[in-house]
Amino acid sequence: MQQEFSKSEKFWMNFKLYQLWRFIVLNIKIYTVAVQSKWK
Amino acid sequence: MAKIVVIGAGFAGQTAALYLGDKLGKKHEITVISNRDVFGYVPSWVWVGVGHMKPENTVFKLKPVLERKHVKFVHAAAKKIHPDVGDQYVIGEEIGTGKEVRLDYDYLVIAPGPLLNFAGTPGLGPDGGFTHSICSLPHAVKTRDAYLSLCERMKKGEQVKIVVGTGHPGATCQGAAFEYIVNIHKDLVKKGLRNKADILWLSNEPALGDFGVNGVQIKRNGIVQKSDEFIKSVFNDHGIRYQVQTGVTKVEEGKIYWQNYEGEEGVTEFDFAMLIPQFKGQPFQYIGKDGSDISSKMVNPAGFVLVDGKYGLAYPELAQTPEAWPAHYNNPNYPNVFAAGIAFAPPGPISKPFTNKNNLLIAPAPPRTGMVSGMIGRVVAMNIADLIEKGTMTHSERMTEMVAACIASMGDNLWDGNAVTIVMRPVVPDRKKYQNEYGRDLFVSHLEMGLSGAWMKFMLHHTFLWKFKGNFGWKLIPE
Repeated sequence: MQQEFSKSEKFWMNFKLYQLWRFIVLNIKIYTVAVQSKWK
Repeated sequence: MAKIVVIGAGFAGQTAALYLGDKLGKKHEITVISNRDVFGYVPSWVWVGVGHMKPENTVFKLKPVLERKHVKFVHAAAKKIHPDVGDQYVIGEEIGTGKEVRLDYDYLVIAPGPLLNFAGTPGLGPDGGFTHSICSLPHAVKTRDAYLSLCERMKKGEQVKIVVGTGHPGATCQGAAFEYIVNIHKDLVKKGLRNKADILWLSNEPALGDFGVNGVQIKRNGIVQKSDEFIKSVFNDHGIRYQVQTGVTKVEEGKIYWQNYEGEEGVTEFDFAMLIPQFKGQPFQYIGKDGSDISSKMVNPAGFVLVDGKYGLAYPELAQTPEAWPAHYNNPNYPNVFAAGIAFAPPGPISKPFTNKNNLLIAPAPPRTGMVSGMIGRVVAMNIADLIEKGTMTHSERMTEMVAACIASMGDNLWDGNAVTIVMRPVVPDRKKYQNEYGRDLFVSHLEMGLSGAWMKFMLHHTFLWKFKGNFGWKLIPE
């Protein structure tokens, strides 16, 4: 069981270019699932 | 011409009012009655509470926004509801003058937000109690002042004890408290004071990261990861101590009294505490045609409006019955009365409740704020429009179908901030549709921490204020 974040995990959490990618992916993911609700 | 009255103008009420204004505003009479003349963007009050955001940046005046959408605004506190057919109206008390206001309706939306039941825990709360709250803007401002003066004490070298969590065995909204505790941590790190504070998470959750929704489970690289492990990692990483399965029963100056699952009673000392109170329904009077009290036909004992859910199921049965959760959010006795947001009565808890040997029920109530509130507000508004235009409702969304996204920020800095991004579908597990032990869509559900979450949180603050103001393209922004 994970108890603390590893050094590698912490690196990726703050690596700006990777986080920009995650920002785009998360936005698309959340928008896509949230907008489905509009048609219900 | 139909008359529609919306009580409340928070996430649920304002969403309902915007959709109603958009669909019906030019042909029908829509009125919002609220005891506050401003809309408050609640998620950012966490930042107000640590002094990182000005209170005025989280609010805007309702009247001009609503009038632009063909919705009347009445600044009054709703007091009495008369739902009997032929004589349906709401009585309010105008803020400032105390004058009585009568609003007749054909359709009523009850969305006033929660009654913060500080009285449910002796000594809790900022008004006459010993703890703080971020559940209203005045409370968040008071909390900020107390927190900043605590920081001054720390600067002088004092060691302090900070406790954040839930202040009642049946409290909800653990997510807001979680966001507040990690914001405090981040702020103290930035101020160079972190070593002066012992920070404790004290909550009624069955496990860390439960958040009143039975936790969040995701699949990453083929392995199921759970929010309890994730949040444990966050707390361990931040040096935050934690104590769950605990119901706070009483607060005195500097002392929190609690009981846990084992029935043990204990006292936790504090210098500063922010504890979320129990939520109840607003204490409206429900009056029949003959003047009798008809509350039992409208609300449950906690004051939440009974809707089209299946009530009275024991937890194990409820957990296997997704259709027990309401779909249209209207009252079975008065079908033209709808409830949205925290105002509707859920059929039961989402997280497993627990009664200890002292007969104390420790059970987080289902959270139905934020995105859930907005979605219900939209469903209710669209169904009212349907009933007026087509005579039948065509929209429905149970919490066992809803997706919810939650961003818990850790600081507001766009360069070195951080946030936990949580996505879950559905909010209430549906074990019939999703054939896994969690009842969740493990592909859509998501749990991640990183700088991108801080950007998301910043973006959501501005996007949602834009949406709630009904500005250009507001309908394109999901609830």
